[in-house]
Amino acid sequence: MDRSEATVTTLGEMSSTRRRWPLAALAVSAGTFLASCASNAPQDYFDPAGPNAEKIDTLQRPVFYIAGVVALIVIGAVGYIVFKFKDRGQDIPEQSHGNPKLEIALTILPAIILAGIAVPTVVTVFDLNKQDDTECIINVTGQQWWWEYDYATGECGGVEISQPIVTSGELVIPADTPVLLRVTSRDVIHSYWIPRLNGKRDAVPGRLHTLRMQADEPGIYTGQCTEFCGLSHARMRQAAVALNQADFQTWVDNQLEPYTAPEAGTLAATGEQTFIANCSKCHQVNGIANADGTPVLSDPDLYVVSGVAPNITNLMTRTAIAGWTFDLINEECRDALWTASPDEFGAMYLAGVTPDCFDEAALRDWLRNPPGMKPMYVDPNNLDSTGGKYRGMPMLNLNENQIDELVAYLLERK
Amino acid sequence: MFTTGSKLLLGATVLSVVGAIAFGVTTGGPAGVLGTIGLVSLASVFGFLAGINLYTRDGNVAALEPGVERTSAAAQPPVGRSLWPIVGAVGVGGLAVGAVSQPVVFKVSLIVVLATVVEWMIQGWSERASADRAYNEGIRRRLLHPLEFPIVGALIGAAVVYAFSRIMLSISKDAGRWVFIILGTIIVAIGFLFAAKRGLSKGTAAGIVAVGALALVGVGVASAVSGQRTIEEHPHISTAVCLGTATEAETEEIDDKASQDVAAKSNVISNVELTEDGRLVAFNLGTADTEYHEITVPRSTTVHVLFTNKTEEPRRLTVHLGTFPAADGTAGSEQADCTTAVNQDGVAFLTFRLDKSQAASTTPYRLTVPGVEGQEISLVVP
Ligand code: HEC
Ligand SMILES: [Cu+2]
Repeated sequence: MDRSEATVTTLGEMSSTRRRWPLAALAVSAGTFLASCASNAPQDYFDPAGPNAEKIDTLQRPVFYIAGVVALIVIGAVGYIVFKFKDRGQDIPEQSHGNPKLEIALTILPAIILAGIAVPTVVTVFDLNKQDDTECIINVTGQQWWWEYDYATGECGGVEISQPIVTSGELVIPADTPVLLRVTSRDVIHSYWIPRLNGKRDAVPGRLHTLRMQADEPGIYTGQCTEFCGLSHARMRQAAVALNQADFQTWVDNQLEPYTAPEAGTLAATGEQTFIANCSKCHQVNGIANADGTPVLSDPDLYVVSGVAPNITNLMTRTAIAGWTFDLINEECRDALWTASPDEFGAMYLAGVTPDCFDEAALRDWLRNPPGMKPMYVDPNNLDSTGGKYRGMPMLNLNENQIDELVAYLLERK
Repeated sequence: MFTTGSKLLLGATVLSVVGAIAFGVTTGGPAGVLGTIGLVSLASVFGFLAGINLYTRDGNVAALEPGVERTSAAAQPPVGRSLWPIVGAVGVGGLAVGAVSQPVVFKVSLIVVLATVVEWMIQGWSERASADRAYNEGIRRRLLHPLEFPIVGALIGAAVVYAFSRIMLSISKDAGRWVFIILGTIIVAIGFLFAAKRGLSKGTAAGIVAVGALALVGVGVASAVSGQRTIEEHPHISTAVCLGTATEAETEEIDDKASQDVAAKSNVISNVELTEDGRLVAFNLGTADTEYHEITVPRSTTVHVLFTNKTEEPRRLTVHLGTFPAADGTAGSEQADCTTAVNQDGVAFLTFRLDKSQAASTTPYRLTVPGVEGQEISLVVP
């Protein structure tokens, strides 16, 4: 008898007994419980990796345990009463109304528990709102369906940022340094969350919310948008990458390095022209210039609802694109990077998308048909509701030669 | 063999089938598909109803069970006179008038007609819902009162609010204060009277309320007809004034209470201060103790700045929004926006958005105070 037959018989037997409800309930709760035991769970807020998340954890653990015990007592009592006093045809017992002593006790007890929880909660809330220890400010702006990071000029964890740096998807921060994010949005409400580093913060258009960020050790900490924001909400992800100070300095220097045009005659050089012709109206590559030396400036405000498209000056210093959803590196390299020890991590991350690691499949698919990978509209040909502007990146009908050239060009953006 | 009712429904069924085929063949595209689906659904519904009608012989009791025609529900006399034919006629008339005059008349008439259809249908049905007359009278109320009471209540509420708002808008600001204090007192007093005098007859109470309502609506209509009082416009500050190349009657537009009108103080990207000794400095959100002379502003993002004037002169804060070539290719002129001028210790709010990178503008993005030389805060837009 094979397995499926066995299951069928058991189910058949069960349905004839009155026991199937408790069993089904047990199966569901056991399934839910076991699902929480995944080992590969990088977004686990029970596993804090910085002081802010630790504060939250210190608060939520006791509350979780107390609530758990209360829940067990209540569920147990309800279950006991249900079984003990179920209708077996016995007489209706004596009816009574009101029991002031019991009622007062049952009001005061929860009030004491809640007050006990409130005190550390309020303290933590204020703690998490402190701004006076900031050593670095980064503007974090959400839009459908990716996050942009603008590094304000000035000091950041002892590293001088002379020009603003604009990146997307991966927030690079100095490790062991209090960073302050100024979170806002350019279209709808989003919410920024790196579970292992801090709680969530809503990104609301026209408002500027602050969120502390600090990672104890170099490493990569993933997260995702946690406020439903349209068709591709599920594909709006992000990560925070913490580097030690020397590595952070290297990263900043690299981001601010002047543009190097591809060598004349190469595929990448043709790619640069293809890029200027097809992509520059939305995407900025800092320093890119026309043949006559005039800078090529993007005008995403004319084409995209949110008014911006990712700055891809240093695309190949990130490991994933388009809302940090599609990998630029192969699985092996990604696993190595994600599990690297804090000492090894920095060097591995700064190596960027090396030829060994580069996986061009996702990038090519993206250039071929972005809305095919990330749903953006119900009807991509009808832009009436947005006044002719796009949400996300439109399908550009590139041919395979153009894609080859563009990939060659983009590979040098690091 | 075909009863009267089923003939009608069978005819409608055949018509919709023919219609569906004709539409499906002649119309292509998504509209064709949707339309055909609609017509086929219609055909099946008519077919279904025709089937039921045939089966029940039109619900004709006499045909099913001879002799019940006197006791059956259908044989009951109507409960009372109905207003609905007249209301419906007025509604239809209104539709015609509205179609050629005001759209609002048309819309209101449409609502009247729809309400009539619903009310009349339910009333017609309820009058013969059963062979028991008293039950029939009750069932209409049970069905329609839960619908009618909230809607009529909301309409009365809206009329009261609308009348009050018209009155407020037509009398002067200062008179308004007193009128509403007195009105409020009177209403409370009357309410108190009702509550205190238990023996007050229903008629007296209804009379007082009716007189009050009539007075309110009357004054409301009169106010609406006499129109709004003139409401002063906020002075529009021209770019030239912001840039300090023109002056206006400055003192006129000083906003004495500017700081009281700022609602969004808590989420400004920067607090900009003109210090007592005439320096312009920025305290950026997140590092409130450090004086900055530069603010990094993300592109295409609405940001707010709070300006505080510590000097004795009235001052305004100007944001320079760049210079871009005009559509005709000429150089274009510098764009700017600014706060109203504020007195010493006054606070004003400035909201702006920069869509293009700094490199696209031929003049720098920056914050300045017209009349204060050599002080500026640059805005860095990547
Ligand atoms: C109409 C504006 C527009 C044009 C034109 C455009 N893009 Fe995009 N592109 C976007 C937007 C918006 C996104 C962000 C989409 C998202 O993540 O959902 C994007 C994302 C990307 C990304 C991912 C970047 C990141 O950091 O995540 C790459 C790579 C990219 N585009 C390359 C190109 C190339 C190459 C071209 C030219 C062939 C091009 N784009 C043309 C708007 C545009
Ligand atoms: Cu989102």
